[in-house]
Parts: sequence; C-alpha cells; structure tokens
Amino acid sequence: MRLYKKEGNIVQILSFPNETVEKGDYLLVEDGEAGKALIVQVIDVQFASIPGILEELLRSLPDGGELIQGEDFDPLEIAPHITYIQDASLLICKIRATMENENLSPSSSWLPSRSQSTIKKLPIPMLLKLAKVNGKLPVILGETKDASLLTIDASSLDGRLNIITGKKETGKSHLSKLLMLNLVEYKATVVIFDLNGEYISLGMTSDEKRNAYNDKIHVLTPSQNFKVALKQLNLHVLLGILIHALHLPGTSAREFRRIWLSLKERDMLNMHELGEAIRNWHCNQHVRDALFSRYHSLANTGFFTDEAAGTMFLEECLFRAREQGGAIVVNLKNTSAIDRQIVVEYVLGKLVDLLTCWKLKATFLFAEEAHLYLRETYWDDIVTRMRHFGIFTTFITNQPDTIRENIYRQADNIFLFNFMNEHDLEVVSRAARVDAETVKSIARDLPPHYCLALGRVVRDFPMVVKVKALDVKTMGETRLFFKDTN
Amino acid sequence: MNHLIEQYTIATTQKYNFPQPTIDATLPQRFIEQSIYSLRNVQNQTIQLNQQTIQQETPTHTLQLKLDPIPLKPRHEETPVAAIDTSSMKIGETSLGILIAVRGATVHKHNRHYNYMRIGPFIFHVTEENKKEVYASLQTAYFAFSHEHTQTYQGMMNIAQMPTRIANLLEKWLQTTLTKTLSKSLILFDGSLTAGTPDTPTRLMKETLRIARERGNAVLAFSKMTNLRVNGHIITEMQPSHKPPYLLEAVGLKPKPPIVLLGDIYVARLTHGNYAFRLDIDKELRHEQKIGSVESLLGNDLLQQSYPETLRLAHILCTFTANEVIAMQHFITRKYGLKILNRPDIHRLLFGLFGRGEGYA
Repeated sequence: MRLYKKEGNIVQILSFPNETVEKGDYLLVEDGEAGKALIVQVIDVQFASIPGILEELLRSLPDGGELIQGEDFDPLEIAPHITYIQDASLLICKIRATMENENLSPSSSWLPSRSQSTIKKLPIPMLLKLAKVNGKLPVILGETKDASLLTIDASSLDGRLNIITGKKETGKSHLSKLLMLNLVEYKATVVIFDLNGEYISLGMTSDEKRNAYNDKIHVLTPSQNFKVALKQLNLHVLLGILIHALHLPGTSAREFRRIWLSLKERDMLNMHELGEAIRNWHCNQHVRDALFSRYHSLANTGFFTDEAAGTMFLEECLFRAREQGGAIVVNLKNTSAIDRQIVVEYVLGKLVDLLTCWKLKATFLFAEEAHLYLRETYWDDIVTRMRHFGIFTTFITNQPDTIRENIYRQADNIFLFNFMNEHDLEVVSRAARVDAETVKSIARDLPPHYCLALGRVVRDFPMVVKVKALDVKTMGETRLFFKDTN
Repeated sequence: MNHLIEQYTIATTQKYNFPQPTIDATLPQRFIEQSIYSLRNVQNQTIQLNQQTIQQETPTHTLQLKLDPIPLKPRHEETPVAAIDTSSMKIGETSLGILIAVRGATVHKHNRHYNYMRIGPFIFHVTEENKKEVYASLQTAYFAFSHEHTQTYQGMMNIAQMPTRIANLLEKWLQTTLTKTLSKSLILFDGSLTAGTPDTPTRLMKETLRIARERGNAVLAFSKMTNLRVNGHIITEMQPSHKPPYLLEAVGLKPKPPIVLLGDIYVARLTHGNYAFRLDIDKELRHEQKIGSVESLLGNDLLQQSYPETLRLAHILCTFTANEVIAMQHFITRKYGLKILNRPDIHRLLFGLFGRGEGYA
C-alpha cells in the first residue's frame, strides 16, 4: 500500500490486489522519521484511476458488446502485471487519530511522508488497546471483521443517550437485548417500552428453559398485572395524561384540578368517586362533557383500578431491580395508541418521581419506536431534563426520521445497522459524533446482524461488529401466512 | 454485429494454429532470448520514465497519379481476411540506453467472426554496446542474412530507431508466417509493399509475396499516411467526383535503388466520406486479381472510414495502453530490480506550461 493523497481529513491510499482491505478496516500510516503514525479507517474502496484503462476495456469489446476471442503469446508473462495494475484499488480513508509514543490524539494536522511511510493493517485488538476501549465493566458486543471480540465498557452507556437504528430485520432488537441483559448483569435498572412483546421472554432460553436472568426480568402488561390506583398518582402525572394523551383543553384541566384536590382532601381518590364528582360538579356543561369523555377513556383502559391488587407492582419491580439489577418490560403489545400513551406517561412520571426523591439511583430506558407513544414535548424532556434525573435512554427504531434532529445531535452512541435508503442515512449522519461519509459509505454495505458502532462506546473509532448471538427465546417474529408451507 | 471465435481455414488443421511450432518459430524464440538477455544486463540500474510516449511511425515515399477511378463492386463470396500489425514503444531510459517494448497482433476474419493472436510484449534493453548484437541476432534469425549484410545496415543504426526497427522485424516475420499458413485469403499489411530498406530486404519481401500468391492469397497493404504528392497535393486528398467505392491508380513512381516497389500503388476510397488511403497491391497479381481482391475485401470485411476492420483491430490489439506501459515498468522493477527514477523534464523546468516535454522540438 502506498500513500497517494491527503485532503482535509481524508487520505487516499493505493492498494494492490494482494492486499485485502475492506471498508471499515483500520490502517496505520507510519512515518518512521517523524516518529508518528496516522490511524485511518477505510470508508470506501474504489478502482484506482489507471491511465489507459478505458482503452484496455474498449479494445476487448470491439463490436457488438462481445469479447473478441483470441490467444495471447506472452513469453515474459507480463499479463499478470497488467492485471495487477488494472485491479489496483484506491482506499478512501478517514483520519481517526494520530499516534505518537502510543498516545492517541485526534489531530490530523501533519502530513506523513508519501515516499517513506509504511502502511499496514491495524488489528482491531491493538486499536482497542490503544484507544482504551476495554473497561472495568466489559460488554462483549460481538466479533469484528478480523474475528477478534469487540468489548465495550458498560459505563460508556451510563448517563448517555444511545440510538440503535437500521432497517427491518437487521438485528436492532437483538442488540438492544444484548445491551440490556449485560446492564442487568451489572445490577442496573432497565425499563423497556416493548411495543411488540419482543422482550417478554428474555428470561427464557431458546428452548424455553429459565435462564440466568429469569428472576430479573419483570414483565408488566397494562390492565393485566400492571394497574394503577388513583391514590398512587400525582396530580401532575394524571394532568399530563389528560392534556397530552387525551387532549383535554386548558379550561377543563383547571376544573379537573379542582375536582382532584377536592377528592384528595376528602381522601376519596378512586375511579368511582372521580366519576361521581365530575357528574355532580358545578361547572359549564361543555367542560363537564369534556371531563366525562376523558374519564371514560381512562376507565376503559382498564389500567386504572380501585382495587389494591397489582397496583404496586411497578414500584416493587423497580425496587427489586435497584437491589440486584433487573429489567422491567412494559409490554405494550395489543395496547391501543391512546392507552400506550397513557401507560408511558404514567411510567415516565413515576420514574421521575422515584428518581427525584432518590428512591432510585438511575435507570436505563429502552424505547422501541418511541414515536408511536412518546408525545412531542417528551423528546427534549428525555434527553435533557430526565437525563439529569438519571434516565438514560436508548432509542430503537427502523425509521430514523421519526427521531428528531436534535436527538441525533446529542446522541453519545449510535449503533447503526444496514440502511440502503439515502434519506435514512442522511438523517443518521446528522449525529454530532459521526461523520456523514462514514455513515453513508459503511452502513450501506453492512450485512444483516452487522452493526457500525459509533461514539463513546468505541472512543470515536467507528467499528463494524457482528453482533453476538443470544440464547434467549425469540419473540416478535413476523407472523407469516406461508410459514407452514415453507 | 457479433464476433465469435473462428478458426483459420488452414488445410487439415481444425484449430487456429498460428504460429505453428514447425513454421519459422526462430524469430519469437530469438525475441525471447534477446529480451531476457538484454534485460539481465540492466539489473539494479535506475530508469528514467518517458515524459512523452509516442507511437513510432513508419517513413513514407513520393510519386504521380491516374485520375480515372476504377469503380468497385463488393464480392460476397466467402473469403477469409487476415491482418497484421505491430507496435513498439520506448518505455524508459537507463543510464546506458533505452528500454523498449514490442508487440505484434494478427487478426483473422472468417464467417463474420474475428479471432486474434497477439505476440508479446517483448521488452529489450538496448544500449550503444548491445544494439548491434540485439538487432543482428534477431535479423539473422529471420532474414538468414550473412553477417556482412547485417553489419552494413547496422553501421547507420541510431539507438532511437531501435524500437521501430525491432517492431519491423517482428512484423515481417508475422507477415511471412501468415502468408505461409493461410490460403485463398486476403492478407492485409500495415504500410506499403516497398522493399530494399534495411528492415525490408527485397529478396525476402519478394519471397513473402511469392508464397502468398502460390497459396492463392492476395496481399493488400494499407498506409495510414503517405507523403506521395501529385501537383503538390497528397494523393489521398484528391477527390474526383465519383461515388465510392473506387480506386485511383498511381503510376510512374521510380524509387531510387536499392528501393523497389513490389506493389502497384492505388488510392483507395472504399466508403463515403473524406477518408482515403494509399493501397499497395502485389504487383505480380493480374489486374483483375488486384481489383477482385479489393472487391472481395469490400464484400467480406467491415469498412469504416475506408479502412478495413480487421486491420483496425490488429492495430488496436497491438497498441500499448498506458496501463500496459505501467505494468511493463512494474515487471522490470520487480523482476530485474530496476529503480524507477523520474528525472526532471528540462523543457517543463525551463518553460513551465509552455514546455511541452522533451519529445517536442
């Protein structure tokens, strides 16, 4: 390999057919005299622009598009050299760091010698060691291209905003399960908004036996084992539900507040009394109607109850998880859009309450397709305010444009699976810790289950990893009509 | 049009069999020997890459012209067409001499399909010291000349002419071999049928044409460029108001000895458009055979811009591309340990953008 060109932080390297280099590989451009080396990553592999190549191709297709047939008597065996030159490739590489005395710095301000520099592949384990990616809380993500393990530090997810994205069936949920189980193993509290019931069997192996995490996975299904008594609710949480999920107008919300305070004063906060109070409340008929319609919506969810059984389950699970680590799976499968929003509003409100009064230290929140249940104003809330309370979110989506640009800008880690669509890649490339060329070039060619890890977890050295397999029962498979036939 | 593999119609031989080991294989063998031998002497030297690489051209001649066009009518009876061309190129310089590459190609068209045979590239390191030896060795292998004859011409030989001279030797060998292996075919040469030059001894050219005639072949030589003039005009630029295809016969050219013309000279305008070429046809063929052979060519080969496709392909296939030049330099560097040195171009240094390189005056 020979250094050809440097423009900005892009380096072009000429590579020959016997040197197998692929997108995503790291190279070390060492300048012995300068005592420094550039660490560059291959983001694209192109044909080298060889003079005369067009003539070479054209003369092999003289007419009609068919190769002209013939024989070559090549006594000096020059033909392999011609092929060697023709197949030379140009590696477009992004400078990731400068190495000097085994210390890395993000500088790309110096120019290595074109004639004297040596270029070799930088093995991933060596790069991980140099970049100090391994930490005290190792999480094995999977295998890199050179069959070495990519181990990240769980603490690099702590206090961070993460995004897992990629097109359908590329392995996003699989990675989120992997991260989640590893966090649980390190006694973290994890809350999952499980839209498709994919996480409910995390405690089971693929052959339906209980696994090591079984007693740490708590599945809460709204209206079944997960209900709420009005007494447990803070007024602002319920007002949030009414205003944001059920679109209660401001005037009516003010009346509701009065009703709520009145009931609370008389220690009569339950669904039955709330209904009666709205019925008998002296107020404008339209306001009453508005309040009644919302009341019925709440009642119809089955989520709110006057019975004590099951109403403390969320708190119990969170406290158990606080002690020994655990994942609370909020199963939103078979829940209507409105009910989903109500449940999510409640859970987030509850978490903030518990975190505010330090009953919980911090929580890792995994939100699948959050745009389906998270109200507009919550996005900023989650990444800014709630982060300070100790809610560290991981968004998982196959529609990257449903996550707002400011979320990408603040994301600390991005786990990117394959995307073909230019628009999707464009959206992801807005993330602050990512350069657009890397995202667009590498993500497009990722095979299923391969992920491009970007951000703090890899110390800003983007790495392609084949996500490790998990022995957990797979749920959330697409129901197929022809499954039995095939 | 589709071009598929086809075989030469050589008696009793099913497979395209050129060059047959039994037929004059001496020259390629000597090419290989001389190539390797000359390169061995260049090991571990530095080479200067050419700043300008120019295909070598062959010299041209002068004469007079008949203005009555000979109209042509394509003859479609199946007749194989074959063409020969060679290329040479200076691919670099060493402190002692130059590195040159030579390649030849023959293309054969039969039943509307083209097939080619390429020989080379052969790479030679030619120095002032070894130029005589290299050339004499190759010339002797082909011409079977006496040493004295070889010496006569070599005394005048300039090292810069060596690429063309060696390519000519290969071309002559290919021409002879093709005339010996084909029968009842049209054989197209690049250039003229002028003999008596150092590269084209009259005896050998006559022999080549004689064999061709005996085997029922007709030799047609197309010159891409000519300097023959009539009344100051280049003969190929004279355009009588006659509808192509036609030939104009050139007469009265008396070359100075030892130069001899072994062909009759024509201006061939074979398609519409402004293109015409000097065409030499074996003098010993009867008039109707000469005209018939051109009409056969019209009926059996594609002609674009008055130039036969078979000959065009031969030229294209033997021409060196920049990619191949790099590959040959790579080969020499790897195999013979040459270090490539890019000596500054003095023209560029002195004149900047106005310096067009050392190859220009």
